[in-house]
Amino acid sequence: MSKLRIVNHPLIKKGEQKRISFTFNGESLEGLEGEPIAAALLAHGIRILRRHEESGSNRGLYCAIGHCMECRVDVQGKGQVRACLTPIVEGMEVVEGKQLENKITGREAP
Amino acid sequence: MSNSIIVCRCEEVTVENLEDAYHTGAITSRQIKMKTRATMGACQGRVCRNLVDLWMGNKNPLASKGVEQLSYRPPVRPITFGELAGEE
Amino acid sequence: MMEKQYTDVLIIGAGPAGLAAATNLFESGFKITILDEFPHPGGRLLGQFHEESDGSWWIGRQVASELVEMTKQPNISLQCGVSVYGLKQISEGWEVLSSVGTIETKYLLLATGAAEIPVPLEGWTLPGVMSIGAAQVLTNVHMVKPGDRGIIVGVNVLGLAISRELAVAGVDLAGIVLSPNNLFSGENANPVEAINLLMSLSHLAPSAWMRLGGSLAQKMKMGKWVSTFFPRQGMNVWDIPLLLKTTISSIQGKKSVESVVLADVNSSGQIIAGSEREEKVDFVALAGGLYPLAELAAVAGCSFLYLPELGGNIPLHNEQMKTPLSNLYVAGNITGVEGAQVAMAQGKLAARSIGNDAGLLKNGREKIAEAMDEVHQVRKTATIQFHPGIIAARKRVYEMYDSLQKESLTS
Repeated sequence: MSKLRIVNHPLIKKGEQKRISFTFNGESLEGLEGEPIAAALLAHGIRILRRHEESGSNRGLYCAIGHCMECRVDVQGKGQVRACLTPIVEGMEVVEGKQLENKITGREAP
Repeated sequence: MSNSIIVCRCEEVTVENLEDAYHTGAITSRQIKMKTRATMGACQGRVCRNLVDLWMGNKNPLASKGVEQLSYRPPVRPITFGELAGEE
Repeated sequence: MMEKQYTDVLIIGAGPAGLAAATNLFESGFKITILDEFPHPGGRLLGQFHEESDGSWWIGRQVASELVEMTKQPNISLQCGVSVYGLKQISEGWEVLSSVGTIETKYLLLATGAAEIPVPLEGWTLPGVMSIGAAQVLTNVHMVKPGDRGIIVGVNVLGLAISRELAVAGVDLAGIVLSPNNLFSGENANPVEAINLLMSLSHLAPSAWMRLGGSLAQKMKMGKWVSTFFPRQGMNVWDIPLLLKTTISSIQGKKSVESVVLADVNSSGQIIAGSEREEKVDFVALAGGLYPLAELAAVAGCSFLYLPELGGNIPLHNEQMKTPLSNLYVAGNITGVEGAQVAMAQGKLAARSIGNDAGLLKNGREKIAEAMDEVHQVRKTATIQFHPGIIAARKRVYEMYDSLQKESLTS
């Protein structure tokens, strides 16, 4: 169990959640069924979810409720989703949001 | 305050960018938006429109009194072209 | 093609206001549909808990599950993970565009809640910097700590309430500091304003926090200035250092947050030169306050009023929760930022208004008056109050509604 997971909260009890596996940038990870991608990744200490499309600067979860769009990641078969709202499912393949190339300025994809 | 602070996270618009736009003639929030792309990114201004209005109100108190306020336009949430076309 | 759905009442937002509205409407026999973007119903209830004045705990997650249980009726459809991206008025009500297709409804209730006001500063786009609400959702909803050690920026009602929740969950906090003193921070950067806020909360006195506010108030009355009695290292509240003479000047880190630079301020919030110091943290939670999330009301064509006491731009509505647009209602934080208990009472009131307008409510007038009374009562006794000017500001909204209605009748 990751050290960031809260297991004994004095006031909030959550039901048992099944452990499932998913991948992030090709790496196989364990998460709890139904939790959003961003929470499952943070439990493993992973905060960088996206590189800014233009500058490539690192971005992570900011609002956690679908307002800010900072946590956009790519999910195989679904395209771009918000990692804070999208529940993980068994076998899900997640890839970080990437810096894009720009043919006008000549910037190449990293 | 440092001018390098980012105001619009989506489009990476800094205080300095707002200053430049203001000094070259953008004197309402809407004009600032058109000139800098602040509030025009993926979050559609949900994060920074308050900041842009606040900054503009400081610069030009008349600008915040209902003149050319920033609008909201659909779609207010991201949708795919497939969803727009009515696919499952 | 996705089939168009039809419903009698569509509620956007399955938080305290939306759920309370549904549970107070199902007896009408109406077909009711509730949509929410979050994967679980409950809205901000899911992450909230606080200590009541009698020492008991109010746990939002429990309230949410009770409400959700009550929505399990054959005529109520609760759909989560659904985004609404547009809407338009049609002759028989409203057409709502969502990620599960178009839904036509006779009555539409917007209960979309609030969004957070950001606190921009150097380094705030680094991963590990989040809104205070995000820290709350991670900790209390997903039950993952935002990090090993963090700092809270912003001495305000939201920041204080959530700081306590984080402490209860065992999240290590380096402290609560003032917002950075820049032109976006307003009163949040001023130590005297922060103390005034504590004083305004102290009369409620349900907890250690409020008692601390009270003792500060006493000292203020004795004419002592904040800088003469308030220690630089702060005072501990629920074991969290409350640093009322400290601000944050930047957030540092290569790939993500590694530290913050803190500095002492004078009584007007200006940084004292040479007082800068580094504090190691791996997350920063920014508490800038809330504003009503009313984009759908704007798209619908509602007119707005700017009232800082209510959190910003408010869609015009009357005390019965009706907007000037036919069959469009509002409830909860979209009408002004207040606590979840007020939002629930408003949801009930909106439900009664809809029932009455549909001609389905017996003794409609009395029932509506009763629900309005309940909103007043809940507001008066609320443990967490966001702004002292709420009641007066709300009155102004209703007066504006009435005068505009009169104008449109005479013209």
